[in-house]
Formats: sequence, structure tokens, C-alpha cells
Amino acid sequence: MIRYTLSLLLLILLALVVQQFIPALTGLFNSRLLLVTLVFLCASVTVGPPVMLALAFTCGFLWDAQNALGPPGGDPTIYHSPAESLRFGYSIVLYGVIGYLMQGIQPLFREGKWQLSTFLAGISVFIYLVAEYLIINFVRGGFIFSRATLLQITFTSILTTLFSPLVFWILFQIASRFGHEIRFEGLKKKRRRRAIA
Amino acid sequence: MRPLNLLAFLLFLSGATWALTRSERTVREIQSTYYAWLRPFLNAGSELEIKARSFLEEVEDSKKLEAELASMRTEYDRLRQIEAHSEEINAENARLRRALDFQERTEFKATAARVIRRQPTNWWQTVEIDRGKEHGISIHQPVVADGGLVGKVDRVDKDFSSVILLTDEACQVSVQVEGTPEAGILGGQRGQYEDGPKLRLRFLSVKAQIAPGTRVFTNGRGGIFPANLLVGTIESVIPGPLDSEALVRPSVDFTDLGTVFLLPKQ
Repeated sequence: MIRYTLSLLLLILLALVVQQFIPALTGLFNSRLLLVTLVFLCASVTVGPPVMLALAFTCGFLWDAQNALGPPGGDPTIYHSPAESLRFGYSIVLYGVIGYLMQGIQPLFREGKWQLSTFLAGISVFIYLVAEYLIINFVRGGFIFSRATLLQITFTSILTTLFSPLVFWILFQIASRFGHEIRFEGLKKKRRRRAIA
Repeated sequence: MRPLNLLAFLLFLSGATWALTRSERTVREIQSTYYAWLRPFLNAGSELEIKARSFLEEVEDSKKLEAELASMRTEYDRLRQIEAHSEEINAENARLRRALDFQERTEFKATAARVIRRQPTNWWQTVEIDRGKEHGISIHQPVVADGGLVGKVDRVDKDFSSVILLTDEACQVSVQVEGTPEAGILGGQRGQYEDGPKLRLRFLSVKAQIAPGTRVFTNGRGGIFPANLLVGTIESVIPGPLDSEALVRPSVDFTDLGTVFLLPKQ
């Protein structure tokens, strides 16, 4: 379990580096594959709540360290209504929320129905981006939700969903290497026995 | 909820609260440490990216590249001549100024920098450049390209910096509309991906009379950007009850940023 958790942490760090080189697709409304979020979502369904929360904290903290904007600067009498930046650490909370969402379908995942988790990963990314965008609107004022924004969020979610089987495959490989039990077939057999009875 | 899960949840909440209450200075220190750790991996990745790109370019059309190189060499020679001529004129200008006892103008100093990559943010418009503290770069330094204003430095590290682009809502510039008394604050807009990004010029007078195509320049107010830097051209004016707004097409192509120049701080 410890070796599996450590390898998840390493996988997230690797995803943070690789994410720097994944370009936004300008033809698809600047959508992009959110690799860090994807690795976190796939990993969070394979572990218990304490590890999921530790991963959420790590991902959110490092994501904000990577992307947080600085103060606007300049003369406040001229720039009297600056666009506020989001507080450092907001991503930690968002990652925690989507992590719990993924945990919701953990029983099905443990039965071996990982396909459902790929769809939920896409839905979670959608919720994450919408929530992030709504927070920006709330902090900066003036609600704007254009068609382009909706399409950007949608395409980002779809792109992320498409890559989730690959991440799940990697996780299964790591789990089998370190003897961590992701799929618990016992649950499946128990239900079958109940159905027969 | 199991006791262990509850304990983990409480620890998570206290960790999140700790992060959310960090001061601006601490956040900058965290970012600096994070990028110092990440730097070797990013450098290795960038080198690989450059090698892959150059390999593909070479494969694509070597003859075309040779022709381009020849034409660039000719252009380089021509520019060298122009530069030499310009130096002569500058020297002559300085001599004449001294003779006429003119106050000498401040020398225009710009540091060239290469755009390494666009940062992988969802909503912010930022790029990374290959100049940092060790090259004398400081926060909020104005950044320009050959078309006009690009943005300002947002974060400085040892040998690289992050630049917030003009197309980001958080990058605000005090500007003046050419040939009119109209001045306002210009910035990017949220969710602008169709037909290229447009900038939003706010706080114009209610009866602002501005023709489309009029140029917009920085006016030097606000303590960040120097005056007379081209920002863009007016596309349309939207009158409002208290003030008017205008949509401005930026003069710089933000999708094709290769080399930028950092101007000294005001």
C-alpha cells in the first residue's frame, strides 16, 4: 500500500512536468488535456479517503504553486478596479471535492467496472472547470459565461475522458507490481451469491 | 464516518486553510522553490522539444531551409549596414545635440528574451521567457514585441520569468486613443477564443466619438508602462449610461510570440 501510494505521488509529479509541454488546442477553443487532474482522478478511485485527501492536497498545492498570478501592481489611483486573482490554495479544495466525487463510485470500480470511472473522470473535470470559472466570476464580478467558455470546458473534459483508460491501465500495472489490490472480486462474488439466493 | 477518515478530513481542511491564508510573499517563495525543483526537468524537456522540432524541420524541407538561410544572410548583411549607418547618425545626432546644448534623451534599453512556452493554465494567459533575475529582470517590467505591447512580467526566477499577456483580464494598461482626449483602462476579456482575442477599453467618456481603426497607445500613467507604446486599434465603441467601452484589436499576434523585448521599469 505504501509503495503504491508513493508511486502515485511520483506519477503526479511526473504529470506536473509533462503538463508543461501539453499545448492548448487553439482549434478546439483552447481546450487541453489536464493530465495532473486526470492522474489524480484515476488514482483517487483506487485508494481510500485518507490517501485521496493527501493526493488532493499535493495536487492542489502544486497546481497553485505552478499557476498562481502575482499582485497587479501599478498606481492604485489609476488602476482603481484591478481584476482580482484567486487565492493560493483554492485548488486544494476543488481537488478534494472532485476526489470525493470519484470515491462515490469506488464500490463499482472495485467490482471491476472501471469503464464507469472514465466517464465520471470527464464529469469531474467538467465540474472542476465550471467551479473554477464560477469562482473567477464571483471574485472579479460581472458574470460572463460565453459559448466559447462552455465549449472549452466541454472539449477539455472530453479530451481528459479519452485518455483516462490509459491512466487506469498504468495504475493497474503499478498496483499489480506492488501487490496492491485495486479490484476486489469478493464484492462481485458476494452480490452474485445474493442474486442466486 | 470512520475515525481515520474523519481525522484525514480534518487534517485536509486545516492544510487547505493554512494554504489559503498564506501571504503574497510566502506564496512567491513557495512558487520560487517549486520552480527551482522543477527547473532541471523543464530544461531537459525543453531541450528534447527543441531537438525534436529541429529534427522535424530538417526532415521537412532542407532545400527550403537553405534558401531561407541564404535570404536571411543577405537580410542580415543589409541590416548590419543599416545598423552601422544608424550608429553614425546617432553619433552625429549626439554631437549636434551637444553643440546646441540639448538635454540628452535617455537611452532606449531593451532586453531581448525568447518565449519558451505558454504556461498550462486553464484561465490565465501567461508565457515563460528565458530571462530572469540574473539578467536584471524585475517584476512588472513592460514587455513588447515588434507589433507593440505584449504584457508585463508577473513572476521572476533566477534565469526565467513569467509574463502575463495583455489578453489576460488581470493585465491592465492605462491608454490614450490617438487624436482624441479619450483615455481609459485596457485589459483582456474572459472567454475570448473566437475571431482572435479582443481587448476591452473601459472608462471612456459617455459621448466618446472614436472611429473604428483609430490606434490606441499607452499614456504612461499608472507607473508600469511607458508612454507611446502601440497597443491596438479600435474595433467598435459600446456606449453606456455612465461611461463608454470599446473593443480593441491587439496589434500583436499573441499566437505567434517568438522573441520579445523587456523595457526598463518606469
